[in-house]
Amino acid sequence: MVTKEDIEKIAKLMRIDIENADEYFERVQKILSYFDILDKANIEGEEIPVQQVGIENLREDKHIAFDDKLIEQLKNYKGRYIRAPKMN
Amino acid sequence: MNLAISAIDYISGIKNGSLTAEEFVAKTVEHIKKHEPKLHAFISLNENAVEQARQIDKKIKSGQNVGEFYGMPISIKDNICIKGGKTTCASKMLENYISPYDATVVSKLKSQDAIIIGKTNLDEFAMGVATEFSAFGPSKNPWNTDYVPGGSSGGSAVSVAGLESVLSLGSDTGGSVRNPASFCSIVGLKPTYGLISRHGLISYANSIEQIGPMGRKVEDVALVLNHIAGKDMYDPTTIDSQNQDYLTGINSGITGKKIGIIKEMSSGAGLDSTVESVFRNAVSSFEKLGAKIEEISLDMVEYTVATYYVLTTAEAGSNLSRYDNLRYGYDLDSEGYEFKSYISKARRNFGPEVTRRMMLGGFVPSAGFAGKYLLKALKVKNKLKKQIQSAFKNFDFLISPTVPVLPFKFGEKIDDPLAMYLADINTVTANLTGVPAISIPYEIRNGLPVGVQIHANNLQEKQLLQAGYALQSTTKIPEIRL
Repeated sequence: MVTKEDIEKIAKLMRIDIENADEYFERVQKILSYFDILDKANIEGEEIPVQQVGIENLREDKHIAFDDKLIEQLKNYKGRYIRAPKMN
Repeated sequence: MNLAISAIDYISGIKNGSLTAEEFVAKTVEHIKKHEPKLHAFISLNENAVEQARQIDKKIKSGQNVGEFYGMPISIKDNICIKGGKTTCASKMLENYISPYDATVVSKLKSQDAIIIGKTNLDEFAMGVATEFSAFGPSKNPWNTDYVPGGSSGGSAVSVAGLESVLSLGSDTGGSVRNPASFCSIVGLKPTYGLISRHGLISYANSIEQIGPMGRKVEDVALVLNHIAGKDMYDPTTIDSQNQDYLTGINSGITGKKIGIIKEMSSGAGLDSTVESVFRNAVSSFEKLGAKIEEISLDMVEYTVATYYVLTTAEAGSNLSRYDNLRYGYDLDSEGYEFKSYISKARRNFGPEVTRRMMLGGFVPSAGFAGKYLLKALKVKNKLKKQIQSAFKNFDFLISPTVPVLPFKFGEKIDDPLAMYLADINTVTANLTGVPAISIPYEIRNGLPVGVQIHANNLQEKQLLQAGYALQSTTKIPEIRL
């Protein structure tokens, strides 16, 4: 059984900080307990599928210039740098 | 002028001179202005549509080369980028985001002289089945505005059903094209994974989602597919469509084809009795068309909703991490915050469903829980794929109702995410296995639409559209009253 504390911990790691958090935890807990249905599936011996894109399907490794000044869309930037809050 | 005409009829109208693009687009814009306050299909509109149509008429008159859409108004879901315009994903986070480039599908449509009439409403980041999770308010079902239009491409479906656009492009991660197509009585196609480029589609769950065309007629959807399918250097998962012409021979019929009714989607406690009765009518129509019908059981279907939500939330958790208020969504100054609390504060811009899915998405692949959720879901996906492939050894098509329930009223399921998730049970299989599936409008019962879903094997869109066309010919949907 997944506890509220388990969910709380992950939410914190995901940097989710919300008001009325309990309501969220309750609903997430309910959904997670529905996921328990997967325990009943007969998947003995099944492999985990891997999605592959072959190197021949990749585009040429060549720089394509993009002329628009994307950084000007941002509010907090200086020159070519994004301005972020202090790390601590 | 009749705005309810099909895309095919629009093109012949332009070619034989009975229509001009300008007249049609101007009339469409007028119609949108009149009905938008009630329907709310759009998040933003193209203010230059009429002028663009006038330019296309000029090209036609002067005998220049004109693209195959001849100025036809087409709407685009607001999670697909159009250069220079807003792409909001119906989220506060992207409220002012301007796309720096055209999605591949958009440049293909533009190059064929389609007119992008506007960007349509959706559930925030395409997560939902009713458009109730749009940060800008829900779209309304044009058949009865007390009811949801389905989702997440609800605005696209409303724009087409409500005659505000001839065609639309939506995106389908777990049924987001087919569900609203069914709820609004239009046609919606989720193509084979890789058939249409996702370049410029804002990612939700990359490994299974596809852009899909929506229209009032099967042949209209085939026409769009002709122009947007195929390989794209910007999306390495795309596959070669071999320049398939999906329109030619669409009326070939399905005599002698074998059709399997997927038992787990077409019976049982979760299936509404009205939906079941409409579906039975469709089955007898298939029989009359000369198809052979049998029931088939795919026991993994029972686990697909859980599998779908485990896999998509895990991918969404990762995709949504870029919305940190630094690269996107920049209403907060970076002064006065410490990094972590800044990000947390920024994420409050997400609505409740996106927040829930982020939590789930962090949880299901996390250390200690991945074995219980993520890895099991991947194994179910693998087994389901094998079951579908083995079913297609015996059958040409697999069918079910598109959605097990009728369109519901606003607010009815919003507080019960699980009930909402279960509405996806019939649509997620096509996404998890990659095969194409289409929803065909079949009946209006007590004023509410019911659609029928047909699946075909990978890259069998041509046959799938033929089957859809055949089924469409057996039913007559009444004209919508707006």
